[in-house]
Amino acid sequence: MRKMGYLSDKFSRTFTPFGILRNLFRKPMTLQFPYETLPPLEGYRGRHALDLEKCAGCFICSMICPNKAIWPVEFKGRKYPQVHLGKCCWCQLCEEYCPNKAIKLTPHSMMVTMDKESAILGLGEEGFVPRHQ
Amino acid sequence: MINEITSLLKSKFPDSLLNVVSEDKRITLLVKKEELHQILSQLKDTGFNHLSDVTAVDYIDEQEFELIYHLWSHREKIRAIVKVRIPRESPTVKSVVDLWTGAQMHEREDHELFGINFEGNPNLSPLFLEDWEEIPPFRKDFDTRKYVKEKYYLEEEGYPVAKG
Amino acid sequence: MDIEEKEIGFSTVPFGPQHPASGHFHALLKVEGEMVHELEPHPGYLHRGFEKLMEYRVHPQNCALVDRADVLDPFSCELGYTNAIEKIAGLEIPERGRYIRIIMAELGRILSHMTWIGVLSMVLGFDSANKIAWGDREKILRLNEIATGGRLYPCYLCVGGVRRDISQEFVDETSKALDYLEGQLSFYDYFVFKNETFVMRTEKVGRMSAKEAIDLGATGPNLRACGIDYDIRKDEPYEVYPKVSFNVITRDEGDAYARSLCRRYEIAESISIVRQLLNNLPDGAFRVELSPVWAAPEGESYFCLESARGEKCFHVVSDGSPCPYRVKIRAPSFLHTLSEFPYLAKGSTIADIPAIYWSLDSCPADMDR
Repeated sequence: MRKMGYLSDKFSRTFTPFGILRNLFRKPMTLQFPYETLPPLEGYRGRHALDLEKCAGCFICSMICPNKAIWPVEFKGRKYPQVHLGKCCWCQLCEEYCPNKAIKLTPHSMMVTMDKESAILGLGEEGFVPRHQ
Repeated sequence: MINEITSLLKSKFPDSLLNVVSEDKRITLLVKKEELHQILSQLKDTGFNHLSDVTAVDYIDEQEFELIYHLWSHREKIRAIVKVRIPRESPTVKSVVDLWTGAQMHEREDHELFGINFEGNPNLSPLFLEDWEEIPPFRKDFDTRKYVKEKYYLEEEGYPVAKG
Repeated sequence: MDIEEKEIGFSTVPFGPQHPASGHFHALLKVEGEMVHELEPHPGYLHRGFEKLMEYRVHPQNCALVDRADVLDPFSCELGYTNAIEKIAGLEIPERGRYIRIIMAELGRILSHMTWIGVLSMVLGFDSANKIAWGDREKILRLNEIATGGRLYPCYLCVGGVRRDISQEFVDETSKALDYLEGQLSFYDYFVFKNETFVMRTEKVGRMSAKEAIDLGATGPNLRACGIDYDIRKDEPYEVYPKVSFNVITRDEGDAYARSLCRRYEIAESISIVRQLLNNLPDGAFRVELSPVWAAPEGESYFCLESARGEKCFHVVSDGSPCPYRVKIRAPSFLHTLSEFPYLAKGSTIADIPAIYWSLDSCPADMDR
C-alpha cells in the first residue's frame, strides 16, 4: 500500500502542474496603468480645495494640522490658508474641524512634480490652484 | 489565586511593599528600591514567567524616575505590575537579565533614552541614535522643538504655532 | 611534501539595509565559510521618536499619526491608543462603533498576513507566489479605500468611536471579497504550503523550544507555534471579542514551518470572525462627539491587544491636560528581532538567515518606532 501511495503521489505531481495552462485563457490581474485605472471613489483623501466665499480666516485648520502644513498668506486684501503638500499627511482633520466647511479634500490624487518649491498650493479665483502640473 | 499571591508577598517582604491594589485579573505593587530584585525573583518562582516590558516615566517636579515592570503568568492568566521610584540625580538599579533574557534589550533602550544605569547588564551601548552628545532625549528637560529649529531650520516660516 | 595548513579566518558579512531580503534593518554576520557564528543587530533606521513627539500633540492629532508606528498593521496602533485613553476617562462608546472597529481590525490582520506570505516567498526565491499574494491583497486595500478614504494609512479611529460610517456598498463588497479569499486559501495550500521546496527550506529551520521562547520574550504566532496558547483575544478580551467564537491555533514543532502554518490558519479564523460580526451589526450612533481640546482626567492605564505580530501594549499616563504626559508602546517586533533572531541564527548557514528572519514576521517600523 505504501508503494501505491508513492506512485499516485508521483503521478499527481507530474501531471497536475499542467493545469496551470488554463491561466493562459484568463484575464490578467494587472491594469495597464495610464490607459486604464480603477474608478476614483468620492471619499478618497486627495488634493485640497478651498471655497473663498465661505472661508472666515479663523485658521482652526492651521492649528489642528499635526504637521503644521497650513499657514496664512495675503490674497486680495485678506488672509487665506495655504497648504504645503510635501508636509501634509492627508488626515482630513482640517476638513473635519472647519466651522464653515470651506476647505475640503477632493479625490484628485495624481500629483507628481520634480521641483520641491512647486509642491505648495497657490491661490486663484476659484480657491487652491496647483503650482505644478 | 490573587489573594494567595498578595498574602505570600506580604508575609515575606513586610516593609518593602508600600501599596498593593488587586483588581479582577491584575495586581499592582509599589515597592521600595532595596528589595526589588528579590521581589521580582519571588514573583518569577510563583509562575510569572513572561516579562512584557520595562518602562520609565520622568516625574520632573518630584525629581524622580518611576520604573515599571509588567509581568504575565501563563499558568494562571494574571498580570502583575511592579513600580519602583528611583532618584533622578543618579539613577541606578540592579538588572534583571539573570531572570529573563529578553530584559537585556529593554534595559538597553531605557539606558539610551532616559540615562538610567542598570548594573549587571552585559551590553549597554547605544541602540538607535548615533553620535548623540546632548542629554538623554526622552527626559522632560530636553526640548525637541527648540533643538530641531536650531539645528535643521534656516529661517522662520511665519505661521501660527499649533496648540500644545 | 608537507602541505601547509591554512587557518580559515572569520569574515564579516553585512545583511544590510539596502537589500530586498532584509527590509530596513541592518545586521552584521560573523561567518566562517558558510556557517554563521554570531549575529549583531543594528536597528535605528526608522527611529522617529514617536513617544516623545506624542507629548506635544492633542488627541485627534495623535490618532491621525499613530498608525505610522506599525506600517503593515495600522489598525492595531489606533485601537490601542484610543482604548487606553478611553479607559482612563471611563468613556462609553456606542455598540455600532465597537463592531466597526473590530471588523476593520480583523481585515487589517488578514492584510498583514497576506503581505507576509508574499514577502516570505519572494525571499526564498519563489517570485510567482509573491505576485499572486500581493494581487489578492489589493482586494482588502480596496475595502480600506471604500470605508476610510486611504489605502495604507486609514486615520479612521478617534477617541469616542470611528470618524465615518460604513455604507451598504462596503458590506456587499466585503462579503464578495471574503468569499474570494476563502476560495484562494485552498490554492495557497497547494501552491505554497505543500510545495516541496518551501517545506524543505522551512522545516526544522530556526527551531525553539517553549521554555526558550518564553525566556526570550516571544509572543503571537511565534509563541503559539511552540505549543503555548497565549492569545489576548481569549485571555483578556476587549471590545466585542466576548461575543464572537473562534479557535486559537497552536502547533508543536516550533520551527519556521510551524509558524507559517499558524498564520495560514489564522487567516481562515479572521474571515469567520468578520462574517459573524457583519451578520449582527447593530444600528445607531457610531461616535461620541468631543472637542479637539478635550482632556482626560489624571490617571494612567495599560491596555494590551493582539496585533498581527503579537502582544502590543499601550501604557498612557495623563495629567489632566489635552496632551498626554507619557506614552509607551510595547512593540512585539522589538524582542523578535533583537532577542530571538540572534539566538536562532547561531549555528545556521547564510542561506537560512532570510528564512528565519521573515518567518518571525517582524516589521522594522514597529521595532524602532
